[in-house]
Amino acid sequence: MKLVGIAGSVADKSYNRMLLKYMTTHFSDLADIEMLDIKDVPLFNESDDQTNSDAVQYLKHKIEAADGVIIATPEHNHTITASLKSVIEWLSYKIHPLDGKPVMIVGASYYNQGSSRAQLNLRQILEAPGVNAVVLPGHEFLLGNVKEAFDADDNLKDEGTINFLQSTMQKFVKFVTVINSMEKSAPKDDDGADSEDLGATGKISTTVEGIDMNAPDWVEQAAKKTNAAEGNDYVKLDRGLLTVDQLNAFLNSMPLELTYADNSNQFIYYNKMGPAEDMLARRTPDQAGDPLSTVHPMKARVIKHVKQVIHALRTGASQEVRMPVPGNTADKYVVHNYRAMHDPDGNYMGVNENVVDIMPMIKWYLKQTGQKLEGNPDATTSASVKAEEPAPVADASSSASVDDGAEEKPAAKPAPAATPSDGYSSASVND
Amino acid sequence: MDKFVAMVGTNAKTSTNRTLLQYMKRHFADQAELQLMEITDLPLFNKPENSPIPPQVVTMATAIDDADGVIIATPEYDHSAPAALMNALEWLSHRVHPFVDKPVMIVGASYGSLGSSRAQAHLRQILDSPELRARIMPSSEYLLGHSLQAFDDKGNLTDAKDAKKLDGLFKDFLTFVKFSGELNNATGLNKKEAKDFDWSTLE
Repeated sequence: MKLVGIAGSVADKSYNRMLLKYMTTHFSDLADIEMLDIKDVPLFNESDDQTNSDAVQYLKHKIEAADGVIIATPEHNHTITASLKSVIEWLSYKIHPLDGKPVMIVGASYYNQGSSRAQLNLRQILEAPGVNAVVLPGHEFLLGNVKEAFDADDNLKDEGTINFLQSTMQKFVKFVTVINSMEKSAPKDDDGADSEDLGATGKISTTVEGIDMNAPDWVEQAAKKTNAAEGNDYVKLDRGLLTVDQLNAFLNSMPLELTYADNSNQFIYYNKMGPAEDMLARRTPDQAGDPLSTVHPMKARVIKHVKQVIHALRTGASQEVRMPVPGNTADKYVVHNYRAMHDPDGNYMGVNENVVDIMPMIKWYLKQTGQKLEGNPDATTSASVKAEEPAPVADASSSASVDDGAEEKPAAKPAPAATPSDGYSSASVND
Repeated sequence: MDKFVAMVGTNAKTSTNRTLLQYMKRHFADQAELQLMEITDLPLFNKPENSPIPPQVVTMATAIDDADGVIIATPEYDHSAPAALMNALEWLSHRVHPFVDKPVMIVGASYGSLGSSRAQAHLRQILDSPELRARIMPSSEYLLGHSLQAFDDKGNLTDAKDAKKLDGLFKDFLTFVKFSGELNNATGLNKKEAKDFDWSTLE
């Protein structure tokens, strides 16, 4: 079992770090625990988005790859440190690596409270919909009077404390297994869709080998390796001849956001019309090349839907899948279309995803023809998305970025119409 | 006339919490003088052992010391106060203790309907800690929900009920500040205790 440990302190000397370190060595038979450093993470500021900084991306990737997370928290002013809270804010703003992740809280403090209030507070924070971690219930490990707790070799001295920590750790290991198997077992009712390899580990003839798919500069690296045409180079197309510059201008001026996921489920292209925040479905330059599993949040239900859509397109069960995003209004109706692509011999080549707001076109049509929309009380579809409607799948990366937990954060779309009045707290969009 | 520091509890460039404090500054100008305080450029608190306190912290602490009370407007991030506000309060309780026995009024605005309720409860808990020991006005909550729709073009509250409630609470705060001035028997000791308070030297 692979776990990561985060000590919620950026102080040079931290007993919480010492505690985690002790756990990594002492419980190596139970789990492989890697300690993550948070000291380079900047203070969260929604006006200065650092989600793509190395320090935040490092945490994201490490947490996503881990089976569970252990957080050791100090207590400052009856609560967790600003530095730990800041890390959690980054990890719940545009990205959500803690979503569905088993978490254990421990804590050490100088006095006899042992960070009790900070731990309760941390639970409450981890429960927020933007974070949505699965915290081990009970089994509170409070290490008080920490200055006396360790010996000269940084080992815990008290036998009873060690035994209790060990039993807590054993419970957590079981908890991680149960929670993760719960998430994994969800897509069992499908029709072979589970075989879709979202990690894109399979090689197809066009796969560029030897380059990290997750590298932010995958495009540059892969282009270099393949000697890719660029700039004024001509590309012969069916039917026409364009330079790469012309092709880019053409694709980037489409009234659609286009995404190419190839036969191996690798996300290899999108038409970059502008910055991610202006897009209907956010895509960032560093995502090109990522396997679909990285583009989409690792949530069982989302993964299940992504797999089902791709599988239906791959097997020909559907030629096109069309889905509105949650939160559409009378003025904006964003639709994701997924179409299967085939070569001339009918072999599946991947998914053509296009995202478009259809309302401007509808409004234009109504204006041109002097007509107006009339509500139909019997209609099953309406501008507001019904609660039971499945969230759009491949859009997960854009819908999951809606952070309902943080009320002041600007990215938030309106909550779906059918959610309770405090939609942001109970029904996050990835619900 | 009472002088209050009005602390904007976020480092975001646009915030309805700032709008709310700006409204209070104008609206209550005949009753008190509000000075807006930003927390934006503070470094991340890392418990510096011996390094000097950042000059901005000293300025902030002095302003709070000189004020008759503090009004804090907090947004809610992840069911709690933003890291930026927590960070400012960590700095303002480390070797400087301007909050000891200082009357504090908490307000908050949010885009949803809850009006930052959980962040406000969290903030009360923080301000109650031995390093801060602020005197938070009890039994008073100002939760401004749907804050994007709450103000008109001039930054005034559009809803008469919202405005009236704030008028009442502000008046209460003036009274609370006055009474608070008389609750001073332990203030000297409280200040000393907060100053001496250091987990690392506890027996």
